[in-house]
Amino acid sequence: MSEQEVPELETPGLRKLPLAAGVIALVGLADSVYLSVKHFTAEPVPCSLVEGCEKVLTSPYAEVAGVPIAAAGALAYFAAFALAVLAAYGDGRAWKMFGGLVTAMAGFSLWLIFLQAFVIGAFCQFCLISAATSLTLFLIFIASALVKKKTTLE
Amino acid sequence: MPLLIIGLVFVAAIIGAIYLYNSGSGSSSSSTATSNSTAARPTPNMANAPAGAPVGVNMLGSQTAAVTVEEFADYQCGGCAAVHPVMKELASAYAGNRNFRFIFRHYPLAIPAHDKAYEAAVATEAAGLQGKFWQMQDQLFRNQAAWTANQNYRQIWSEYATNLGMDVQRFQADLAGIQTKNRVQADLERGRALGVSSTPSVFVNGKLVPFSELNINSLRRIVDAEIAAMASAQQSNSAPAANANQ
Repeated sequence: MSEQEVPELETPGLRKLPLAAGVIALVGLADSVYLSVKHFTAEPVPCSLVEGCEKVLTSPYAEVAGVPIAAAGALAYFAAFALAVLAAYGDGRAWKMFGGLVTAMAGFSLWLIFLQAFVIGAFCQFCLISAATSLTLFLIFIASALVKKKTTLE
Repeated sequence: MPLLIIGLVFVAAIIGAIYLYNSGSGSSSSSTATSNSTAARPTPNMANAPAGAPVGVNMLGSQTAAVTVEEFADYQCGGCAAVHPVMKELASAYAGNRNFRFIFRHYPLAIPAHDKAYEAAVATEAAGLQGKFWQMQDQLFRNQAAWTANQNYRQIWSEYATNLGMDVQRFQADLAGIQTKNRVQADLERGRALGVSSTPSVFVNGKLVPFSELNINSLRRIVDAEIAAMASAQQSNSAPAANANQ
Protein backbone atom coordinates (compact mmCIF):
# COMPACT_ATOMS: atom_id res chain seq x y z
CA MET A 1 0.00 0.00 0.00
CA SER A 2 2.70 2.43 0.90
CA GLU A 3 4.63 1.31 -2.17
CA GLN A 4 2.45 3.58 -4.25
CA GLU A 5 3.28 6.63 -2.19
CA VAL A 6 7.03 6.20 -2.24
CA PRO A 7 7.64 7.41 -5.80
CA GLU A 8 6.46 10.96 -5.03
CA LEU A 9 9.30 11.31 -2.55
CA GLU A 10 11.84 9.86 -4.91
CA THR A 11 11.29 12.75 -7.30
CA PRO A 12 14.27 15.08 -6.66
CA GLY A 13 12.04 18.15 -6.20
CA LEU A 14 9.89 16.46 -3.60
CA ARG A 15 12.65 15.58 -1.20
CA LYS A 16 13.34 19.22 -0.74
CA LEU A 17 9.85 19.81 0.64
CA PRO A 18 10.24 17.43 3.63
CA LEU A 19 13.66 18.96 4.25
CA ALA A 20 12.24 22.46 4.21
CA ALA A 21 9.44 21.23 6.49
CA GLY A 22 12.05 19.82 8.88
CA VAL A 23 13.79 23.19 9.12
CA ILE A 24 10.51 25.06 9.68
CA ALA A 25 9.48 22.50 12.32
CA LEU A 26 12.78 23.20 14.12
CA VAL A 27 11.88 26.90 14.30
CA GLY A 28 8.47 25.98 15.73
CA LEU A 29 10.09 23.56 18.17
CA ALA A 30 12.53 26.20 19.47
CA ASP A 31 9.71 28.73 19.82
CA SER A 32 7.39 26.40 21.71
CA VAL A 33 10.16 25.07 23.96
CA TYR A 34 10.97 28.68 24.87
CA LEU A 35 7.30 29.44 25.63
CA SER A 36 6.89 26.24 27.65
CA VAL A 37 9.89 27.03 29.84
CA LYS A 38 8.69 30.60 30.36
CA HIS A 39 5.30 29.23 31.32
CA PHE A 40 6.77 26.94 33.95
CA THR A 41 9.07 29.62 35.37
CA ALA A 42 6.20 32.15 35.23
CA GLU A 43 8.61 34.70 33.79
CA PRO A 44 7.53 37.60 31.62
CA VAL A 45 8.10 37.08 27.91
CA PRO A 46 9.59 39.96 25.89
CA CYS A 47 6.91 41.68 23.88
CA SER A 48 8.26 44.23 21.43
CA LEU A 49 6.39 43.91 18.14
CA VAL A 50 2.87 43.53 19.44
CA GLU A 51 1.13 44.33 22.70
CA GLY A 52 -0.26 42.01 25.32
CA CYS A 53 2.08 38.99 25.37
CA GLU A 54 1.61 38.51 29.09
CA LYS A 55 -2.10 38.75 28.75
CA VAL A 56 -2.15 36.01 26.14
CA LEU A 57 0.35 33.75 27.88
CA THR A 58 -1.30 34.03 31.27
CA SER A 59 -4.85 33.79 29.96
CA PRO A 60 -6.96 30.77 30.90
CA TYR A 61 -6.47 29.58 27.31
CA ALA A 62 -2.71 29.18 27.80
CA GLU A 63 -3.21 25.84 29.47
CA VAL A 64 -5.58 22.92 29.15
CA ALA A 65 -6.05 20.76 32.26
CA GLY A 66 -2.85 22.18 33.75
CA VAL A 67 -0.78 21.43 30.66
CA PRO A 68 0.56 24.53 28.90
CA ILE A 69 -0.44 24.41 25.25
CA ALA A 70 3.09 25.56 24.43
CA ALA A 71 4.36 22.21 25.77
CA ALA A 72 1.83 20.33 23.63
CA GLY A 73 3.05 22.47 20.73
CA ALA A 74 6.66 21.49 21.41
CA LEU A 75 5.70 17.80 21.25
CA ALA A 76 3.77 18.36 18.03
CA TYR A 77 6.66 20.23 16.41
CA PHE A 78 9.09 17.53 17.44
CA ALA A 79 6.81 14.88 15.94
CA ALA A 80 6.45 16.96 12.76
CA PHE A 81 10.22 17.33 12.57
CA ALA A 82 10.80 13.59 13.04
CA LEU A 83 8.21 12.70 10.40
CA ALA A 84 9.63 15.26 7.96
CA VAL A 85 13.15 13.84 8.40
CA LEU A 86 11.88 10.31 7.82
CA ALA A 87 10.01 11.51 4.75
CA ALA A 88 13.10 13.29 3.43
CA TYR A 89 14.81 9.90 3.54
CA GLY A 90 12.05 8.38 1.45
CA ASP A 91 9.43 7.19 3.94
CA GLY A 92 6.12 7.89 2.20
CA ARG A 93 3.99 6.79 5.13
CA ALA A 94 5.77 9.27 7.41
CA TRP A 95 4.90 12.06 4.98
CA LYS A 96 1.23 11.08 5.08
CA MET A 97 1.29 11.12 8.87
CA PHE A 98 3.10 14.47 8.68
CA GLY A 99 0.22 15.76 6.55
CA GLY A 100 -2.37 14.68 9.10
CA LEU A 101 -0.42 16.19 11.96
CA VAL A 102 0.27 19.57 10.37
CA THR A 103 -3.34 19.86 9.22
CA ALA A 104 -4.44 19.48 12.85
CA MET A 105 -1.72 21.90 13.99
CA ALA A 106 -2.72 24.52 11.42
CA GLY A 107 -6.37 24.18 12.42
CA PHE A 108 -5.47 24.60 16.08
CA SER A 109 -3.30 27.61 15.26
CA LEU A 110 -6.19 29.29 13.48
CA TRP A 111 -8.31 28.73 16.60
CA LEU A 112 -5.56 30.29 18.76
CA ILE A 113 -5.32 33.30 16.45
CA PHE A 114 -9.08 33.68 16.72
CA LEU A 115 -8.83 33.56 20.54
CA GLN A 116 -6.11 36.20 20.55
CA ALA A 117 -7.96 38.50 18.19
CA PHE A 118 -11.52 38.22 19.43
CA VAL A 119 -11.55 36.73 22.92
CA ILE A 120 -8.37 37.84 24.67
CA GLY A 121 -7.98 40.98 22.59
CA ALA A 122 -4.19 40.87 22.57
CA PHE A 123 -1.46 39.21 20.57
CA CYS A 124 1.76 37.52 21.59
CA GLN A 125 4.53 37.55 19.03
CA PHE A 126 5.90 34.14 20.00
CA CYS A 127 2.43 32.66 19.60
CA LEU A 128 2.18 34.30 16.17
CA ILE A 129 5.55 32.79 15.18
CA SER A 130 4.18 29.39 16.13
CA ALA A 131 1.05 30.01 14.11
CA ALA A 132 3.16 31.07 11.13
CA THR A 133 5.35 27.96 11.32
CA SER A 134 2.46 25.53 11.61
CA LEU A 135 0.61 27.20 8.72
CA THR A 136 3.82 27.07 6.66
CA LEU A 137 4.18 23.36 7.40
CA PHE A 138 0.61 22.86 6.24
CA LEU A 139 1.28 24.83 3.03
CA ILE A 140 4.39 22.74 2.37
CA PHE A 141 2.31 19.60 2.66
CA ILE A 142 -0.35 21.03 0.33
CA ALA A 143 2.41 21.98 -2.14
CA SER A 144 3.75 18.43 -2.08
CA ALA A 145 0.27 17.05 -2.71
CA LEU A 146 -0.18 19.43 -5.66
CA VAL A 147 3.22 18.49 -7.12
CA LYS A 148 2.30 14.84 -6.76
CA LYS A 149 -1.01 15.40 -8.52
CA LYS A 150 0.76 17.23 -11.34
CA THR A 151 3.39 14.52 -11.83
CA THR A 152 0.69 11.84 -11.75
CA LEU A 153 -1.23 13.66 -14.47
CA GLU A 154 1.87 14.04 -16.63
CA MET B 1 20.80 8.30 9.68
CA PRO B 2 17.32 9.89 10.02
CA LEU B 3 16.96 8.41 13.49
CA LEU B 4 20.32 9.88 14.45
CA ILE B 5 19.22 13.36 13.33
CA ILE B 6 15.92 13.01 15.20
CA GLY B 7 17.73 11.83 18.33
CA LEU B 8 20.20 14.72 18.15
CA VAL B 9 17.40 17.27 17.84
CA PHE B 10 15.58 15.66 20.77
CA VAL B 11 18.68 15.91 22.96
CA ALA B 12 19.30 19.50 21.78
CA ALA B 13 15.71 20.47 22.64
CA ILE B 14 16.01 18.97 26.13
CA ILE B 15 19.38 20.67 26.77
CA GLY B 16 18.00 23.98 25.45
CA ALA B 17 14.97 23.72 27.73
CA ILE B 18 17.12 22.95 30.77
CA TYR B 19 19.44 25.84 29.93
CA LEU B 20 16.52 28.26 29.55
CA TYR B 21 14.95 26.99 32.77
CA ASN B 22 18.12 27.45 34.79
CA SER B 23 18.97 30.84 33.33
CA GLY B 24 15.65 32.26 34.52
CA SER B 25 15.41 34.11 37.83
CA GLY B 26 13.77 32.37 40.77
CA SER B 27 12.75 29.55 38.51
CA SER B 28 12.44 26.68 40.92
CA SER B 29 10.16 28.31 43.45
CA SER B 30 7.81 29.81 40.90
CA SER B 31 7.62 26.57 38.98
CA THR B 32 6.50 24.79 42.12
CA ALA B 33 3.96 27.51 42.65
CA THR B 34 2.60 27.03 39.13
CA SER B 35 2.24 23.31 39.46
CA ASN B 36 0.65 23.62 42.86
CA SER B 37 -1.62 26.44 41.97
CA THR B 38 -4.56 24.32 40.94
CA ALA B 39 -4.58 22.30 44.12
CA ALA B 40 -3.78 25.20 46.40
CA ARG B 41 -6.13 27.68 44.81
CA PRO B 42 -8.42 28.99 47.50
CA THR B 43 -12.12 29.30 47.00
CA PRO B 44 -13.19 32.75 45.84
CA ASN B 45 -13.70 35.14 48.68
CA MET B 46 -14.06 38.84 49.08
CA ALA B 47 -11.66 39.30 51.93
CA ASN B 48 -10.22 42.36 50.26
CA ALA B 49 -13.55 44.08 49.86
CA PRO B 50 -15.82 45.50 52.53
CA ALA B 51 -18.98 43.60 53.41
CA GLY B 52 -21.60 43.94 50.73
CA ALA B 53 -19.17 44.84 47.95
CA PRO B 54 -19.38 42.96 44.67
CA VAL B 55 -17.06 39.94 44.74
CA GLY B 56 -13.58 40.76 43.63
CA VAL B 57 -13.95 44.52 43.36
CA ASN B 58 -11.39 46.49 45.32
CA MET B 59 -13.58 49.09 46.90
CA LEU B 60 -13.50 51.40 49.91
CA GLY B 61 -16.65 53.05 51.20
CA SER B 62 -20.34 52.42 50.87
CA GLN B 63 -21.61 50.21 48.08
CA THR B 64 -24.68 52.39 47.66
CA ALA B 65 -22.70 55.64 47.58
CA ALA B 66 -23.91 58.42 45.31
CA VAL B 67 -20.38 59.36 44.28
CA THR B 68 -17.95 56.81 42.89
CA VAL B 69 -14.30 57.63 42.37
CA GLU B 70 -12.77 54.99 40.15
CA GLU B 71 -9.06 54.88 39.49
CA PHE B 72 -7.37 52.85 36.73
CA ALA B 73 -3.70 52.42 37.47
CA ASP B 74 -0.57 50.50 36.58
CA TYR B 75 1.98 49.63 39.25
CA GLN B 76 4.93 50.49 37.03
CA CYS B 77 3.58 53.88 36.06
CA GLY B 78 5.35 56.78 37.72
CA GLY B 79 2.29 59.04 37.54
CA CYS B 80 0.22 56.39 39.32
CA ALA B 81 2.76 56.14 42.13
CA ALA B 82 2.72 59.95 42.40
CA VAL B 83 -1.08 60.06 42.53
CA HIS B 84 -1.31 57.14 44.97
CA PRO B 85 -0.89 59.27 48.16
CA VAL B 86 -3.52 61.68 46.80
CA MET B 87 -6.03 58.86 46.32
CA LYS B 88 -5.23 57.54 49.79
CA GLU B 89 -5.80 60.97 51.27
CA LEU B 90 -9.06 61.32 49.35
CA ALA B 91 -10.33 57.94 50.55
CA SER B 92 -9.45 58.73 54.16
CA ALA B 93 -10.98 62.22 53.89
CA TYR B 94 -14.33 60.65 53.00
CA ALA B 95 -14.00 57.56 55.18
CA GLY B 96 -17.33 56.93 56.86
CA ASN B 97 -19.20 59.16 54.39
CA ARG B 98 -21.98 57.01 53.02
CA ASN B 99 -22.10 59.12 49.85
CA PHE B 100 -18.56 58.21 48.84
CA ARG B 101 -16.80 55.15 47.54
CA PHE B 102 -13.42 54.58 45.94
CA ILE B 103 -12.78 51.72 43.52
CA PHE B 104 -9.30 50.77 42.41
CA ARG B 105 -9.00 49.09 39.02
CA HIS B 106 -6.00 47.39 37.51
CA TYR B 107 -4.95 48.72 34.16
CA PRO B 108 -1.49 47.30 33.48
CA LEU B 109 -0.25 48.72 30.20
CA ALA B 110 1.10 46.17 27.75
CA ILE B 111 4.28 48.05 26.92
CA PRO B 112 7.85 46.78 27.21
CA ALA B 113 8.79 49.30 29.93
CA HIS B 114 5.97 47.92 32.07
CA ASP B 115 7.03 44.30 31.85
CA LYS B 116 6.06 43.56 35.46
CA ALA B 117 2.90 45.66 35.66
CA TYR B 118 0.50 42.83 34.88
CA GLU B 119 2.16 40.50 37.36
CA ALA B 120 2.20 43.26 39.97
CA ALA B 121 -1.55 43.65 39.56
CA VAL B 122 -1.93 39.89 39.98
CA ALA B 123 0.28 40.10 43.11
CA THR B 124 -2.04 42.59 44.76
CA GLU B 125 -4.98 40.32 43.95
CA ALA B 126 -3.07 37.40 45.46
CA ALA B 127 -2.58 39.54 48.57
CA GLY B 128 -6.27 40.39 48.42
CA LEU B 129 -7.13 36.71 48.79
CA GLN B 130 -5.51 37.01 52.21
CA GLY B 131 -7.25 40.29 53.00
CA LYS B 132 -4.20 42.41 52.26
CA PHE B 133 -5.03 43.99 48.92
CA TRP B 134 -4.75 47.63 50.02
CA GLN B 135 -1.62 46.98 52.04
CA MET B 136 0.14 45.28 49.12
CA GLN B 137 -1.08 47.96 46.72
CA ASP B 138 0.43 50.56 49.04
CA GLN B 139 3.72 48.65 49.24
CA LEU B 140 4.02 48.31 45.48
CA PHE B 141 3.35 51.98 44.81
CA ARG B 142 5.51 53.30 47.64
CA ASN B 143 8.44 51.06 46.75
CA GLN B 144 8.00 51.20 42.98
CA ALA B 145 11.62 52.25 42.38
CA ALA B 146 12.93 49.33 44.45
CA TRP B 147 11.36 46.51 42.40
CA THR B 148 10.46 47.93 39.01
CA ALA B 149 13.87 47.31 37.42
CA ASN B 150 14.96 44.52 39.73
CA GLN B 151 15.26 40.99 38.34
CA ASN B 152 14.45 39.58 41.78
CA TYR B 153 11.19 41.49 41.99
CA ARG B 154 9.24 38.39 42.98
CA GLN B 155 11.51 37.89 45.93
CA ILE B 156 10.99 41.53 46.91
CA TRP B 157 7.21 41.10 46.70
CA SER B 158 7.46 37.97 48.83
CA GLU B 159 9.32 40.05 51.42
CA TYR B 160 6.46 42.56 51.40
CA ALA B 161 4.06 39.64 51.85
CA THR B 162 6.11 38.41 54.82
CA ASN B 163 6.14 41.90 56.33
CA LEU B 164 2.37 42.08 55.93
CA GLY B 165 2.03 38.83 57.87
CA MET B 166 0.84 36.86 54.87
CA ASP B 167 1.23 33.17 54.08
CA VAL B 168 4.01 33.59 51.50
CA GLN B 169 3.68 30.14 49.96
CA ARG B 170 0.01 30.68 49.36
CA PHE B 171 0.76 34.16 48.00
CA GLN B 172 3.22 32.70 45.48
CA ALA B 173 0.77 29.99 44.46
CA ASP B 174 -2.01 32.56 43.98
CA LEU B 175 0.37 34.78 42.02
CA ALA B 176 0.74 31.96 39.50
CA GLY B 177 -2.94 31.00 39.58
CA ILE B 178 -5.73 31.80 37.18
CA GLN B 179 -8.25 33.21 39.67
CA THR B 180 -6.18 36.31 40.42
CA LYS B 181 -5.51 36.88 36.73
CA ASN B 182 -9.20 36.72 35.95
CA ARG B 183 -9.75 39.54 38.44
CA VAL B 184 -7.13 41.70 36.72
CA GLN B 185 -8.66 40.80 33.38
CA ALA B 186 -12.10 41.93 34.51
CA ASP B 187 -10.71 45.35 35.47
CA LEU B 188 -8.85 45.63 32.18
CA GLU B 189 -12.04 44.90 30.29
CA ARG B 190 -13.93 47.53 32.23
CA GLY B 191 -11.17 50.05 31.53
CA ARG B 192 -11.28 49.27 27.87
CA ALA B 193 -15.05 49.65 27.83
CA LEU B 194 -14.64 53.11 29.38
CA GLY B 195 -11.99 54.01 26.79
CA VAL B 196 -9.07 54.22 29.20
CA SER B 197 -5.92 54.77 27.17
CA SER B 198 -3.40 55.93 29.76
CA THR B 199 -2.76 55.67 33.48
CA PRO B 200 -3.63 56.98 35.94
CA SER B 201 -7.19 57.55 34.73
CA VAL B 202 -9.57 58.69 37.44
CA PHE B 203 -13.31 58.90 36.91
CA VAL B 204 -15.74 60.61 39.24
CA ASN B 205 -19.21 59.23 38.54
CA GLY B 206 -18.05 58.19 35.11
CA LYS B 207 -16.50 61.54 34.18
CA LEU B 208 -12.78 61.51 33.48
CA VAL B 209 -10.80 63.89 35.69
CA PRO B 210 -7.94 65.58 33.78
CA PHE B 211 -4.48 64.57 35.00
CA SER B 212 -3.74 68.17 36.05
CA GLU B 213 -6.67 67.97 38.48
CA LEU B 214 -5.42 64.87 40.24
CA ASN B 215 -4.53 66.71 43.43
CA ILE B 216 -6.36 66.57 46.72
CA ASN B 217 -7.93 70.04 46.51
CA SER B 218 -9.33 69.60 43.00
CA LEU B 219 -10.56 66.08 43.71
CA ARG B 220 -12.30 67.14 46.92
CA ARG B 221 -13.93 70.02 45.08
CA ILE B 222 -15.14 67.67 42.33
CA VAL B 223 -16.40 65.07 44.81
CA ASP B 224 -18.15 67.72 46.94
CA ALA B 225 -19.78 69.16 43.82
CA GLU B 226 -21.03 65.70 42.84
CA ILE B 227 -22.39 65.04 46.32
CA ALA B 228 -24.14 68.44 46.27
CA ALA B 229 -25.53 67.78 42.78
CA MET B 230 -26.86 64.38 43.88
CA ALA B 231 -28.43 65.93 46.98
CA SER B 232 -30.18 68.67 45.02
CA ALA B 233 -31.35 66.17 42.39
CA GLN B 234 -32.85 64.04 45.15
CA GLN B 235 -34.54 67.11 46.65
CA SER B 236 -36.04 68.15 43.34
CA ASN B 237 -37.21 64.57 42.76
CA SER B 238 -38.91 64.37 46.12
CA ALA B 239 -40.40 67.89 45.91
CA PRO B 240 -43.04 67.15 43.22
CA ALA B 241 -43.98 64.00 45.07
CA ALA B 242 -44.41 66.05 48.25
CA ASN B 243 -46.52 68.59 46.34
CA ALA B 244 -48.67 65.87 44.89
CA ASN B 245 -49.39 64.56 48.35
CA GLN B 246 -50.61 67.91 49.56
